[in-house]
Amino acid sequence: MPSAEELAWLIPVLPLFGAVLTGLGLISFNRTINRLRKPVALLLISCVGAAAALSYSILFNQLNGAPPVEHLFVWASAGSFVLPMGYVVDPLGAVMLALVTTIALLVLVYSHGYMAHDKGYVRFFTYLALFSSSMLGLIISPNLLEIYVFWELVGMCSYLLVGFWYDRDGAAHAAQKAFVVNRVGDFGLLLGILGLFWATGSFDFQGIADGLQNGLTAGTVAPWAALLLCLLVFMGPMAKSAQFPLHVWLPDAMEGPTPISALIHAATMVAAGVFLVARLDPLYAQFPVVQTVIAVVGTITCFLGASIALTQMDLKKGLAYSTVSQLGYMMLAMGCGAPVAGIFHLVTHAFFKAMLFLGSGSVIHAMEEVVGHEPVLAQDMRLMGGLRKKMPVTSITFFIGCIAISGIPPLAGFWSKDEILGQAFNSYPLLWVVGFLTAGMTAFYMFRLYFLTFEGDFRGNDTAMQAQLLTAVGKDPSEHHAHGGSVHESAWPMAAPLAVLAVPSVLIGLLGTPWNSRFAGLLNPEEALEMAEHFSWGEFLPLAGASVAISVAGITLAVLAYALRRIDLGRLVAGRFPAVNAFLANKWYLDVVNEKLFVRGSRKLAREVLEVDAKVVDGVVNLTGLLTLGSGEGLKYLETGRAQFYALIVFAGVIGLVVLFGVIGGPIA
Amino acid sequence: MDAGLAELAVSGSPFPWLSLIVLLPAAAALMLPLVPSSEENPSPAPKIITLVVLLVDLLLMMGVFATRFDPSTEGLQLVERVSWLPALGLEWSLGVDGLSAPLVVLSGLVTLLSVAASWSVQRKSRLYFALMLVQASAQGLVFLSQDFLLFFLAWELELVPVYLLIAIWGGQNRQYAATKFILYTALASLLILISGLALALSGETFTFNLTELAARSPGGSFGLLCYVGFLIGFGVKLPMFPLHTWLPDAHGEANAPVSMLLAGVLLKMGGYALLRFNVQMLPEAHATLAPALVILGIVNIVYGALNAFAQDNVKRRIACSSVSHMGFVLVGIGAVDALGISGAMLQMVSHGLIAAAMFFVTGVFYERTKTLSIPNMGGLAKALPITFAFFLASSLASLALPGMSGFISEITVFLGITSQEAFTSVFRSITVLMAAIGLVLTPIYLLSMCRRVFFGPRIPALASVADMRPRELVIGLSLLVPTLVIGIWPRVAMDLYEASTNALALQFIAS
Repeated sequence: MPSAEELAWLIPVLPLFGAVLTGLGLISFNRTINRLRKPVALLLISCVGAAAALSYSILFNQLNGAPPVEHLFVWASAGSFVLPMGYVVDPLGAVMLALVTTIALLVLVYSHGYMAHDKGYVRFFTYLALFSSSMLGLIISPNLLEIYVFWELVGMCSYLLVGFWYDRDGAAHAAQKAFVVNRVGDFGLLLGILGLFWATGSFDFQGIADGLQNGLTAGTVAPWAALLLCLLVFMGPMAKSAQFPLHVWLPDAMEGPTPISALIHAATMVAAGVFLVARLDPLYAQFPVVQTVIAVVGTITCFLGASIALTQMDLKKGLAYSTVSQLGYMMLAMGCGAPVAGIFHLVTHAFFKAMLFLGSGSVIHAMEEVVGHEPVLAQDMRLMGGLRKKMPVTSITFFIGCIAISGIPPLAGFWSKDEILGQAFNSYPLLWVVGFLTAGMTAFYMFRLYFLTFEGDFRGNDTAMQAQLLTAVGKDPSEHHAHGGSVHESAWPMAAPLAVLAVPSVLIGLLGTPWNSRFAGLLNPEEALEMAEHFSWGEFLPLAGASVAISVAGITLAVLAYALRRIDLGRLVAGRFPAVNAFLANKWYLDVVNEKLFVRGSRKLAREVLEVDAKVVDGVVNLTGLLTLGSGEGLKYLETGRAQFYALIVFAGVIGLVVLFGVIGGPIA
Repeated sequence: MDAGLAELAVSGSPFPWLSLIVLLPAAAALMLPLVPSSEENPSPAPKIITLVVLLVDLLLMMGVFATRFDPSTEGLQLVERVSWLPALGLEWSLGVDGLSAPLVVLSGLVTLLSVAASWSVQRKSRLYFALMLVQASAQGLVFLSQDFLLFFLAWELELVPVYLLIAIWGGQNRQYAATKFILYTALASLLILISGLALALSGETFTFNLTELAARSPGGSFGLLCYVGFLIGFGVKLPMFPLHTWLPDAHGEANAPVSMLLAGVLLKMGGYALLRFNVQMLPEAHATLAPALVILGIVNIVYGALNAFAQDNVKRRIACSSVSHMGFVLVGIGAVDALGISGAMLQMVSHGLIAAAMFFVTGVFYERTKTLSIPNMGGLAKALPITFAFFLASSLASLALPGMSGFISEITVFLGITSQEAFTSVFRSITVLMAAIGLVLTPIYLLSMCRRVFFGPRIPALASVADMRPRELVIGLSLLVPTLVIGIWPRVAMDLYEASTNALALQFIAS
């Protein structure tokens, strides 16, 4: 019986098998397969479930100290070059496998409820399985090129799922934007991979790091070139993990169905960038400059996301900017040279943010009963309020998520965020200040979301507000038909995953306490020992206390403003500083800049090139051709259309030439 | 040299399998006029006969290559040499090696599928299918011929059916497009002929045999001149900037099956001939001019992509994307190492499949919507979900999504150029950078086309239109499944030609 590690290749293959089976079915027997909802869901859930079981047994083995396993085979070759592919299982991979399969499984169950009324139910499940497969493949990739393969594949799944409701224009634009922005990142990643291969002859993580080190010592690689390559590779994670300024696709990607926002755009795919930076730690650890860049980018992202989240009125967009901000924290940890802390936050964040997103999906699902299938209305918090009494499970889990992300001990977010802030405090005190302030903003905007959604009075039947929201996006309110139903708690397929996710959101942080971090012990035993040795309450308490204090301050402000309504922030802040408010509401004007500079610029350039092609290139070549013919005969044929026999004339002429040359050539032969 | 010849003669197979493959469709074409059919009441016989003949031909190719062709050796195999017109030095000389085998099978497959895609052609159907069969023979001969004159005759012969197919069954501006096509290619042919004759006359003995010509490998300015002649001649077919402007016109006017042929087979002749003549016969000139090829390649990639982005017609946009993708073939050939040439070969196979798929699906929805103008479309996905799935899948394949063949071929070209030590690092960096810009532009123009054609609210006018029929499904899958198979397990295709491309590249390491 082979060990679980030996069977690790099955983890991505199982969901792939399910996806291919249903995908082929959808193409060839569309109607029949679309009716087989339950069997398809069961098949795919069992595929992912089996992958999850395998992942857990691998994690269990790794916890018990099993050695890492790597298997390679030759995928492509030419001349002396061979391109190996394969799979690797190590502690980092094992953690990610367990994380991704768990959340994928819960999201599949949740989707059974969320997509129950959607005609694309089977297609949705197929895409989900395909995504799970690609994401799991990414995790077990042993080298950069294979990572790139799955990197693009998860991007494709994201494209398909963001554009899932293809009759919505917003979804169409968002999907394209997500793919193109990610391609910009992948452009850098690919150049970096090629350059590193050139410099080191390797795609393997350790091989690249060692090769570059040797190249630098031997003087075959210039230091600036090495830096440039590292930064180019970092462009990939910047796009995938929504780091400034390539984060612009993520908020738009909320056009996709909410389970997708939870799985892909909060818990797993967007974390792939952080994961890749962790994998590349042996490389980046050699270059303090690169690490500083990563830390600064992470901090900017962290602050930017939180600041924009302050003013969002769309529940999902608010959560999306919060994700951007939290990904910034993870990247900051990577920049501080603390990959374990970054990955730890990745794990805790995955649980509570998936829960928050699924909770928002539950809310949206309920809101649709009242305001109809219109995302502009169903996701806007100005129409929500008072949902706690009607949706107890959703509101309690959402509340837990808010505490967890705000960093209140002993919930998950506290331990991981505090770890990152502690690392930042030691490495980059200035960045720590920003991260620290952001923690306060995080607590404020999360509780703002909570209070606006779940407390106060229900505002969903406010038709004047509905009309105002619809007009704001250019839709005609008279064409819209509200359902006029009532809000109620979601059925068990949606409620159960929320409850399950609440458990790790509360408890999982305890695995990473700084004095006895089981988590660090798994990923990097030496670092864990060192952490435990150097731990002192005197250092820990002031920093942790400060973080908790600023979070509590943020929560208090939110309570005063949105629960007790003692202060009116709109009048106090937005009224007094309209520029700041406009800056945040317009998302730092980055979309405007993108539109003006890149979208219109590229369109204009392309149009000009086509103009040149049609008038100049075509003209010159045509003219040369005609001059060669020596007369206007060709033109005459073009115009009169008597060209039917032209081919034959040319053909005969050519034959004549051949004969002529043949006769001349004959005697020589 | 003589020993090599003797060996070739000995290894000649007793049964002329290659001649059978080449001549079978032409023989069938001669039979088609005898089939009774009229304009008012067109008989289905011509298309059925054509389909069966081409299917048999394809099976024959695959069977012969699977059982009698050894891909692990580099030289010509299954050689047949019969003196045809001794006065002209013309020989019926066929042979297959790693360079030709994949392209022969590709063209066999694409032609078969394009006939299957022509099921609704009613007008002059006998002539139409007869031309398809002639085309199949001519292109097979191009890839298999080992005699320059024979190659050239095949090269010219194949122009006639394509010209007529565009000129008779094309769209509004078909005369203009067809004439432009024939003018470009015929003028280019003159250069090919002159270069070839010059080579044939250059040695002590007059010969058209490609192997003997290759052994001469003339250098100096004579070699360079011949090289440039070939490059322009084959460059038109590829198509290479600035000789590409016939392609958008031809694609814009040709019907979808003919577009499949153009993109799937004709462009590949240009790349194949570059490898066979420029690289194999004139290595010295190639070593000198390779950087120029690389530069032309990146111009193709970026320029083609920008043009594609500005095109408002679906087929013209795909045509410009072909210009862009064929740029990778040029870059790969210009990289002159095993990786680059291997990538160029794979890119030809891959692009042949993907572009044919894209044109095919375009034909499927054109039959239903009667328009190809992107600004006038939208919301097709609601009415034609399966068509949408196929178009999206081929677009993703075309933008080099991993798991599909386009990725492995383009990445191999990238690796080829990166690892070519003969180029300076600045040159390599700029090339890789520019080609990678193409990689960013491709999704922009392809996905924006998908969005504008397929995404958006349902169009009431299309409510009752039927989605892809089983016949169309089979055609689409026959193109996409190989794309996927090569993408997942590239050695399926690479093992076929690796020995030959390695040998080609070795020439340059030795010299």
